[in-house]
Amino acid sequence: MKKQERSQAPGVASQWPAATLTMRCLMENDPYIPKILVLATEHCAYPGADAVGKAHLEYGANTYILRVPSPALFPEDFYLHAWSRGVDGILIAACGSDCPYRGAYERLARRIDDLMVRMKEGGLETERIRLTAICTVCIKAFLKEVSQLNEALAALGPVRRALAAQLEAESRARLRSAALAGAA
Amino acid sequence: MSDPFQGKKPEQPGLTPGCQRCEEQAKVGVYICRCGGNISDVVDVERVAEAARQMPGVATAKVHTFMCSDPGQQLITEDILAVGVNRVVVASCTPFLHESTFRGAVARGGMNSYLYEHANLREQCSWAHRHDPAGATEKAIRLVSAAVGKARCDAALDQIRLPNHRIALVAGGGIAGMKAAGDLAACGLRVVLVESTGALGGQLLGRGAVYPTETDAEHIVAGLRKEAEGNPHIEVLLNSRVRSVSGFVGNFQVTIEGRFGPGGQSATTSLTAGALIIATGFHPYVPAEGEFLYATHPGVVTMPDFLQMLQSAPGGTRMLEVQGRPIRSMAFLHCVGSRQIDGVHTPGPDGRLNTYCSRVCCTTALQQEIAVRRRFPETAVFDLYQDIRTYARGTEDYYRTASEAGVVFFRYRGEEPPVVEAGEGKGTRRTPLAVRVKDTLTWGEELRLPVDLVVLATGMVPNAIPELVDSIKLPTGEDRFLQEVHPKLRPVEVSVNGVLLAGTAQAPMDIRETLSAAGAAAVKAAAMFAHEDVELNPYVAEVDLSLCEGSGQCVTQCEYDGALQMVDVIVGDRSVRRAQVNPGLCVGCGACVAVCPQRAIQVNGWRLDQYEAMIDGIVAEVAVGAH
Ligand SMILES: Cc1cc2nc3c(=O)[nH]c(=O)nc-3n(C[C@H](O)[C@H](O)[C@H](O)COP(=O)(O)OP(=O)(O)OC[C@H]3O[C@@H](n4cnc5c(N)ncnc54)[C@H](O)[C@@H]3O)c2cc1C
Repeated sequence: MKKQERSQAPGVASQWPAATLTMRCLMENDPYIPKILVLATEHCAYPGADAVGKAHLEYGANTYILRVPSPALFPEDFYLHAWSRGVDGILIAACGSDCPYRGAYERLARRIDDLMVRMKEGGLETERIRLTAICTVCIKAFLKEVSQLNEALAALGPVRRALAAQLEAESRARLRSAALAGAA
Repeated sequence: MSDPFQGKKPEQPGLTPGCQRCEEQAKVGVYICRCGGNISDVVDVERVAEAARQMPGVATAKVHTFMCSDPGQQLITEDILAVGVNRVVVASCTPFLHESTFRGAVARGGMNSYLYEHANLREQCSWAHRHDPAGATEKAIRLVSAAVGKARCDAALDQIRLPNHRIALVAGGGIAGMKAAGDLAACGLRVVLVESTGALGGQLLGRGAVYPTETDAEHIVAGLRKEAEGNPHIEVLLNSRVRSVSGFVGNFQVTIEGRFGPGGQSATTSLTAGALIIATGFHPYVPAEGEFLYATHPGVVTMPDFLQMLQSAPGGTRMLEVQGRPIRSMAFLHCVGSRQIDGVHTPGPDGRLNTYCSRVCCTTALQQEIAVRRRFPETAVFDLYQDIRTYARGTEDYYRTASEAGVVFFRYRGEEPPVVEAGEGKGTRRTPLAVRVKDTLTWGEELRLPVDLVVLATGMVPNAIPELVDSIKLPTGEDRFLQEVHPKLRPVEVSVNGVLLAGTAQAPMDIRETLSAAGAAAVKAAAMFAHEDVELNPYVAEVDLSLCEGSGQCVTQCEYDGALQMVDVIVGDRSVRRAQVNPGLCVGCGACVAVCPQRAIQVNGWRLDQYEAMIDGIVAEVAVGAH
């Protein structure tokens, strides 16, 4: 069932000329390797992840790190969108109290709290997302967070993409009605 | 159930759903760096290039041993002309090292430098997945795929230009602050010099003769003071402190509090300065009560105390006297409050140890030992050190001269510092103090030196400036000194644009080092002031008026006064309320972005559709299989 959901991945497969592709992770008898998205702040966690590499410490290669000024910029539906596309787990590696932007970390924390409520209500496993503060030299914390998320995802298995997409649509609709209410 | 993906499918293959920018025909050039093996020893870079060539929108993909070299950068400029590349992706080390290098190459090729993306294949791939070359190669392909996806959505951006306020604010009126102020004034620039005490001069005030020239410190201070105080370009504010700073390069809003009101009353004033020079200096380490018997025994003093004693000692006496007692023998103890070792020394009140070398104490100790031996030849002088660091030009002579002058040296190991204790003996033979030392020069012999006076060669501790560190987020190191961007390449700049470091606020320095740092900071500030405008990076929020419906949600999220507000705009023939960003005040945090249902407000360079394109790039079915 889960496998089927994945091979149905719409929007993605069509972008890539199928004849040239080999699909390592998607092959029938390959073990499940989750995909982890790390949203790492440019001031703290991204250089923190660099520090892990500089120290030649290793973690799984299934970890994809994207640089962000502050993850406070992501709406709830963005995370749901990532899951709907086949990302299995998301680590938000923020600056915490070192955040250079006023109030941004507090807003982010509130947004993630709200997101987790939605996930619970909608039946999506909240273990798929972690919010943490990683400083520029927090090598151990980074490794620990990544390995704990990997463990959680191994237990959960692949994300239910259709469910995530449905919650994404709902979330966007909610944002819209909140804005209408606000404007009124 | 309806297909949840309905409406999300791309209209044309190869386009990121929802991304308007991708409509444009992007021709992406991908350049993969071997980093001399740092990347290619783990990642199969040829395979990454091969996979990249199959990614939508990629016009060419090449591998080079050092992309940052001139020939590497030339690949980019050539392809812009020859292949018509209009987006560039370099996959190499961390963007913090060479992103700006490659943006420069893109600009030299005649493109807008923001049509560039960077993939980190070294710090976050080859170095972190050394034992998983297959996994690292797959990850590298996906990171390149993400960068290509983002690059295809890149829009040309222009740097933001704002007027540059050509006034420098110098915090701290020691020799560093005075020197920086004087040099800037010499360029015809206006300076406000803020000093917290009632006089300019800092720690050099009353120091007496200073090494290596043995000039009177007052001479150096007076020269600089004259330049600052009599200068029409420099406004000196004594008894004043900077209270807070906000803003950015070219436009810092500074609030100063000080006793410059009528009749010396406390008052505050504010001004706009284009650059800040931090010259707030240091204070000598104050030993804890009981540390080497400091503050518990009157015969134990710090170096600054001793300099005072020596200066105020009446001339013509055969021996230095302390509280009526002639000093027949004395010991100088190095590294007090410097080079502290975990487990040996007790951390200060903030829980930290001063593990650094304070650099000036060794030479100062030798200088004073020579002075004592010359002035009071009957006084025995002992020097207890772990290493003699007379590192500067002309200072090694002090070591030689001290030896010739009869100073007796004892060398201890840092793990076993000397112990100062109350003396023994009877009558005139009794000394008030004794120093026990395990001397490695005599193969670890345990010695006990009876002395009348112990001088602690105390190190340097940076002055606390929380009002500056907190308000503009100045980076400090583990040692609490302010931290430069790069110790070699950018030694007087900090990561906050427009803020420069001068002198011992940054690290222990002697007078020469302090003055050269201050001169460098002044020149850097003057160079910034050479431009009418300051250019800021364009990563700020922008409203797409074709999407904005004026809900005003974004404004509720903004923490920065005046950065984002609702204004009346004319759309068609009617006036409507719409959000508007002030790019000079927006910091680009994106808190506003998350709440817009239309996605009408976005942070340039970090748009949500670009993040979604990156996710698509990561999860895409890329060609990672074996040959
Ligand atoms: C005992 C001793 C002997 C020395 N002897 C020698 C020598 O012989 N030769 C030599 O080359 N070097 C010597 N040095 C080193 C020399 O003192 C320093 O290199 C020099 O003083 C550094 O100058 P500065 O301007 O960086 O700092 P400072 O002299 O510390 O000046 C900093 C100034 O900033 C002010 N300030 C602090 N905070 C604020 C604030 N928030 N707002 C406004 N103002 C503020 C302070 O009041 C002070 O006036 C010696 C140092 C010591 C401790």
